[in-house]
Amino acid sequence: MSVTDEEFAAYADGELAGPDADRIAAAIASDPALAARLDAECRLRQTLHAHFAPVTAEPVPERLTLPIVAAAAEPAEQRMTDSQTREAGAAPATSARIFDLASARVRRNVENLPRRRPSWSGSWTTGIAAAAALVLGIALGTQVQQEDAKLTPEGTLLATGRLAKGLETRLAADVDAKDLRILASFQREGGGYCRVYAAGRSSGIACRESPGWVLERTTTGDTGQAGTYRQAGSAQAELMGAAQDMAAAPPLDAAQERAARARGWGK
Amino acid sequence: MSTDRFCEDLTALLPRLRRFARGLTHDAADADDLCQQTVERALKSRQSWQDGTRLDAWVYRIMRNQWIDEVRARTRRSQTFTSAEEGANVGGSDDRAAENLVELGNVGRALARLPEDQREAVMLVLVEGFAYKEAAEIMGVPQGTLTSRLGRGREALLRELGEIA
Repeated sequence: MSVTDEEFAAYADGELAGPDADRIAAAIASDPALAARLDAECRLRQTLHAHFAPVTAEPVPERLTLPIVAAAAEPAEQRMTDSQTREAGAAPATSARIFDLASARVRRNVENLPRRRPSWSGSWTTGIAAAAALVLGIALGTQVQQEDAKLTPEGTLLATGRLAKGLETRLAADVDAKDLRILASFQREGGGYCRVYAAGRSSGIACRESPGWVLERTTTGDTGQAGTYRQAGSAQAELMGAAQDMAAAPPLDAAQERAARARGWGK
Repeated sequence: MSTDRFCEDLTALLPRLRRFARGLTHDAADADDLCQQTVERALKSRQSWQDGTRLDAWVYRIMRNQWIDEVRARTRRSQTFTSAEEGANVGGSDDRAAENLVELGNVGRALARLPEDQREAVMLVLVEGFAYKEAAEIMGVPQGTLTSRLGRGREALLRELGEIA
């Protein structure tokens, strides 16, 4: 069975699905040279991600955020000038203040990170920044959605429906997904896979067990009002902290995550 | 999409945009200049963004095109002014470029040595996680062109970083 360079690259980049992916996976499983190449691919991605991790963890300079805040405030200001009701002019200021508070929250979340495992705290910091950015989106009006879950006779909470499907298939790289976002994927002691997710206003940590995705932790923050997104932000920072405590190794990078998905999240 | 929503989503993209800019320019100051131009351009032309399409791919494309324009302008300038002061260095002033090379580290230097078109392919797929189709659209090239640039860039990086990666 031969695998071309193009096919191999497409597999490593997550471009193949179904029988095509299965065929390459089988070839890799039976050929140590191909397995070593896949390993080198994964390490290259890790190296590149680690190289840029400090950039994404940095607070974003104001000269980039302020033009956006100004643009967001513009139409409201316009409307008020038009209707000559300038003294009622709280709207643009409020909008600017929400952005300020939100970005301050992002910075604080990053600063307040647990630093018990400094050797790879950087990769979790990126996750927190993503979580905080997500909270910003939720706080300012993203649709919320009830999570799907059922209680098993054994007393564990099992993901069902769209949540179960999302946990099985979604990647952390799918950053534009609105219904369910994966903030981090990791392996816990014993090798089982877990994922930190945010679905609408609930978020949590789900781990793959034989019956499916077991919700180990869930939190619900009412983010419907501007004043309460603060709690949602801390809840997700706490979740990332809890994930870090559960994890046996640094969070999976994009290639490792795809590989784990391709193996059906088996250990 | 409402203006508010557009602005929130653009704000949420900023950390990733700064990373992509850093990869393209391999210079922190250039990167934030490029980011700022991109944000301004995106805000100005937000009417031309189609709701329902990916905002991130649209903004990355703006950034990528701005950077290509900048590289061309610098190349023209360096061809026009050949005096020592103006320099023939496309990446910025000689001093800053030299300083940068030291600060970049192995990974940054290996990336900086890639040709522009291979570097953007590597950044979009391996770092930013875009699918081939999206990356090709951002670069405005057929998918086959993207995969061949990506392949060459990846080979070069694996060769250079194989020891440490």
